[in-house]
Amino acid sequence: MKIEGTYTFKAPQEKVWETFNTVEHLQKALPGCEKLEETEPGKYDVYLKIGISAVKGKYKGKFEIADPQPPNSYKLVGQGKGLPGYVKGEALISLSQDGENTVLAYDGDVQVGGLLAGIGQRMIGGISKMMLEQFFKSMDDILK
Amino acid sequence: MKPTAFEYFTPTTVQEALQLLESQGDEAKIIAGGQSLVAMMNFRAARPEALIDINNIKELDYFREEGDEIVIGALTRERTLEVSPLIKEKCPVLAKAITHIGHLAIRFRGTVGGTLVHADPTAEIPVTSLALDAKMKIVSPSGERVLSADEFFVTYLTSAVEENELLVEVRIPTFPSKTTAWSYVDISRRFGDFAIVGVATILSMDDAGVCKEARIALGGVAPTPVRAKDAEALLAGQKLTGELIEEAAIKAAEGDNVDPDSDYHATAEYRKAMAKVLTKRGLTEAWTTFEGSK
Amino acid sequence: MSGEKKKWVGTSYKRKEDMRLLTGRGTFMDDILLPNMKHAAILRSPYAHAKILDVDISEALKAPGVIGVVTGEDVKQESKPYPCGVTIPTKYYTCAVDKVRFVGEPVAVVVAENRYLAEDALDLIEVDYDPLDAVVNIEKAIEPDAPVLHENIGSNVYNHRFFKYGTDWDTLCQEADEVVKWKFNFPKYAGSPIETYGVIATYNAYDKSYVVYNNYQGPFVNHALTAMALGVPENKMRWIIPTDIGGGFGTKTGIYPYCALMAIVAKKTGVTVKWIEDRREHLMASATCTDRVTYIEAAVSKEGKILGLKDKAMDTSGGYIRPPEPGCAYRSTGNHTGAYDIRNLDREVYIVATNKGLTAPLRGYGCQELYFSTERITDMAAAKLGMDPAEIRFKNFIQPEQMPYTTATGGYYDVGNYPAAFKKCLDLVEYEKMREYQKKAREEGRLVGIGLASVTDPSVTNIAYVAIGKTAEERKNERDKSGSGEAAIVKVDPLGGITVICSTNPQGQGHETVISQIVADEFGVHPDQVVVDSVVDSSDRLYSITTGSFSSRFASSGTTAIVRASRQCLEKAKKIAAHLLKIDLEDVVVEDGKFFGKDNPEKAIKLRHIAGAAHWNQYDLPEGMDAGLFGTSLWTMPTSRPPDAQDRVNSSNTYGFVAEAIVVEVDKETGEVKFLKWASVHDAGTILNPQIVRGQVLGSIVQAIGGSMYEEQAYDENGQCLTASFADYLCPTAMEMPKVDVDHFESPSVLTALGSKGAGEGSSMSVPPAIGNAIADALAPLGAVVDELPMTPSKIWHLINDATAQTN
Repeated sequence: MKIEGTYTFKAPQEKVWETFNTVEHLQKALPGCEKLEETEPGKYDVYLKIGISAVKGKYKGKFEIADPQPPNSYKLVGQGKGLPGYVKGEALISLSQDGENTVLAYDGDVQVGGLLAGIGQRMIGGISKMMLEQFFKSMDDILK
Repeated sequence: MKPTAFEYFTPTTVQEALQLLESQGDEAKIIAGGQSLVAMMNFRAARPEALIDINNIKELDYFREEGDEIVIGALTRERTLEVSPLIKEKCPVLAKAITHIGHLAIRFRGTVGGTLVHADPTAEIPVTSLALDAKMKIVSPSGERVLSADEFFVTYLTSAVEENELLVEVRIPTFPSKTTAWSYVDISRRFGDFAIVGVATILSMDDAGVCKEARIALGGVAPTPVRAKDAEALLAGQKLTGELIEEAAIKAAEGDNVDPDSDYHATAEYRKAMAKVLTKRGLTEAWTTFEGSK
Repeated sequence: MSGEKKKWVGTSYKRKEDMRLLTGRGTFMDDILLPNMKHAAILRSPYAHAKILDVDISEALKAPGVIGVVTGEDVKQESKPYPCGVTIPTKYYTCAVDKVRFVGEPVAVVVAENRYLAEDALDLIEVDYDPLDAVVNIEKAIEPDAPVLHENIGSNVYNHRFFKYGTDWDTLCQEADEVVKWKFNFPKYAGSPIETYGVIATYNAYDKSYVVYNNYQGPFVNHALTAMALGVPENKMRWIIPTDIGGGFGTKTGIYPYCALMAIVAKKTGVTVKWIEDRREHLMASATCTDRVTYIEAAVSKEGKILGLKDKAMDTSGGYIRPPEPGCAYRSTGNHTGAYDIRNLDREVYIVATNKGLTAPLRGYGCQELYFSTERITDMAAAKLGMDPAEIRFKNFIQPEQMPYTTATGGYYDVGNYPAAFKKCLDLVEYEKMREYQKKAREEGRLVGIGLASVTDPSVTNIAYVAIGKTAEERKNERDKSGSGEAAIVKVDPLGGITVICSTNPQGQGHETVISQIVADEFGVHPDQVVVDSVVDSSDRLYSITTGSFSSRFASSGTTAIVRASRQCLEKAKKIAAHLLKIDLEDVVVEDGKFFGKDNPEKAIKLRHIAGAAHWNQYDLPEGMDAGLFGTSLWTMPTSRPPDAQDRVNSSNTYGFVAEAIVVEVDKETGEVKFLKWASVHDAGTILNPQIVRGQVLGSIVQAIGGSMYEEQAYDENGQCLTASFADYLCPTAMEMPKVDVDHFESPSVLTALGSKGAGEGSSMSVPPAIGNAIADALAPLGAVVDELPMTPSKIWHLINDATAQTN
């Protein structure tokens, strides 16, 4: 499932880049993040507890900030597994300055498997978007 | 599949239910009709550690007319409203919408509160509640708040009701047949299935056949039900004609808030096209039925 | 001779099964409770394709109520891979060993005190998967860069064969006035019986034998193959199938690997294990029909004669290939050219591996896939020639004077009048009137279409069809395979009661009733006096590799075995009667349950007396005669020969005929389809019980509507199953069932005792092409083409809009 969109931060590009590469900020902003550990530079182990309505689950996963081109773009590659199934995703994150603001564009792909694929396909796009919005909003709060 | 083990509570008052929500924490879930929750539990998609069964809270099972509104307790069964003479007379669009919900057996158990909190954007009562501008009363240990339908639905399967809150009542305005042209139309793969797209239409008409106010709510074209504001504005204050209805239907489908997803059953283009087709059919049905009854 | 005057056969005798079924007193798998029985739950793969690096069951073993856990490694130690009728070295174990190859594939089994606790323990099993790319598209699977599922095979090709019958294709194309070609896609869908799979297995460690209760429907070749897989003599693996099965439709031919799995689990854990499949498991990992890509060409003369067909059909049996595949491609060999006199055929067959659920026969087994392309191309040829689709069919039917007719591919049609039966269908739907109606509707801009289909309905498979998966050269090295046997034992007890025990195991078709009618006619008793034991126990009844209730064989093959066993028993009864009445055998008359001399009807004795003599006074029986009174038969149809060196095989034994005529209207705006009129005419030979046959016809119609418009086992490109619940796998309900006018055309088979052919599958094969043709006809003015199923409103809408956009 393709997901794409933009979010505008009221902050200069350098600052946005820095914030997005700081582990503590990521941990705070990621919805349902219980633990985030950098295992190697740019590689993280993550424990999330997320869900929609009654469908909640704990996910153990890894993600990587790959191919960084500071302060313009990087590729985010991640996967997580939990009882409801697994999630795999890859997105290109690009930043660009727009006056005093920074526009973040994401363009990627989310795959789900297991129970989620069987009963939640229709909603994956909408829910991924919602979680991303939540994440960006929290990052925005941190930036302020 | 079999559900995971859970604690089971049967409060008899709202206060008791709220206390349980507080004490059991965010792993507890309210169960009313169970028509959505039990299936999720059997799939083990939902694994609540506690179920708070509110079916014994009699104070939530009521509905009555209050002035030019009807108040409905959250525990009211869908079937009750479907066959109620009061609803059929004072808010027939709701009774009709309910006939589209699943099958009869489901409507005997499903509750108004349950389907609203479940917040499926294609579900009949959420879509109709948005057309009605319904008001939802939510209580928590710290008090109560009232949300409009617009504020109530957040995204797919997500309402604004927090973990420690309970939806207790819904308040809807009356739209009697004499002065309202109304309809509920939808399209689904089989009879009784989840709608692919559904449209609730409520037109307040005057004696001269002018549409004073139009309300068109669409389900299945976005993560929540949406109102076709541009189409509504086009119709307001106008005499209804075939051309006007066609134009309104086009506007409804092209609204910014119409952004459906594709899935196995239907593409996004199809859903968008059905938004137009059903808006047109809904308006036409509402109008011709109203004219025919005069 | 008794049995010629039919009092009961041919009547709608009320079904004996219904009272117990409707009041909840049937005995299904889940009703069987054995002492100290424990419960199994299966851990299934969430990945379509992945290596299994590790399966850690340590936490699961500690969970409350858990008795044991079995993994793929255990299964590999305790069993051998299933043999299969292809030459590639298949390795199908009933539990994943080193790799998973489809979502839902078993990875481990937990046994616990109850199913709830077993599922809790599943959550604690940690499997370390290394995900691999998946392939779900049949054509992509044979591209050079496709992920390969079975490294030991080296490619995704399970089977690939060529067949040529008659004149070669290129020569034919030169003779033809037109060659019409198209590509068709047929979907993957399931039988969805109300009752899912159920297995109870026990192992006796002292004599190393298994008892496995299960709801299998045959063929019993898989009993033998399972014994081979488990490494036990076949008589040390007893299968017991309960009285009632809640629907089979072919899907329950695919349960046998779970029988092996639970047998191994019982052995490893040392307890009696029950496993009842839940619906999600069933929708992902039981069995469906194959989906198929067909490239087909028809060479036709300008008069409308189909000179020959060329087709390339590509099937997939999913992540593994297992028996009775490659039957999906070969079951229909004998009737490939259907009801038409086509002598020239050029065939290419592929069966490939994809990361999807496994296949098994599904009502119609291969014929719905086949006829969808042949009947659609027939309509396309008609359109090309400017000919009415009914007319082109009349031009090509095998004529009644040509019967018995041997098809180009070796099928033996013994009897039939296709033009007359087809005309009956056209008359029933008021064809001319409907074409007038369509003309007027089109003038109003409405999309009304008429779809026809006319097909031969093969039943009683000849097991030889499986051998066609190998070339004649390859077949030379093995024993020939052939046969279609079904068995019956008819016995009369000391008090004169008749009990019938068959090798067919009904799943709701009403066999008990029909058997009672038949035996009542043979013996001149009332059907209520006949008792049928539907429990199939491999230890105590006759069976063979071909027996079971599949391919509509009960009505023709099964009933003939019953008649033969009855008549064998009656012959003995007559001998005893002659002995007791002191008359000659030729003078014995049997009428209304009484035995008497033809010259002395008043001195009659009843069956009861004869049974009494046979059991109670054994010394006084004719010299050399065994005591007791019974008859047995394991009858194989004489037309079940092995394939010949030219790859011709009579893949079935009785061939009926089905004609469908469907009138539809497509809503231009929504793509929804409404059925306006529907006529279905069947030639199933002699009708044994009209009410039951009507049920079969309507049932196959609604099931085919499912596959044509609602049902699909669908996957995304990563091999995730999108339809693993009834929210998304849509079976038609009573509300989707249209009114259908059903009629019959009886041309009794000359091969079976009662003249009956099969009636169970019929419309499963003819309805998908008829619906395809109907919607295509409706959309024809727009230039849109229908070449796939299911035809959903969304798909139809896109066809309409794409076509409209092109013309604009």
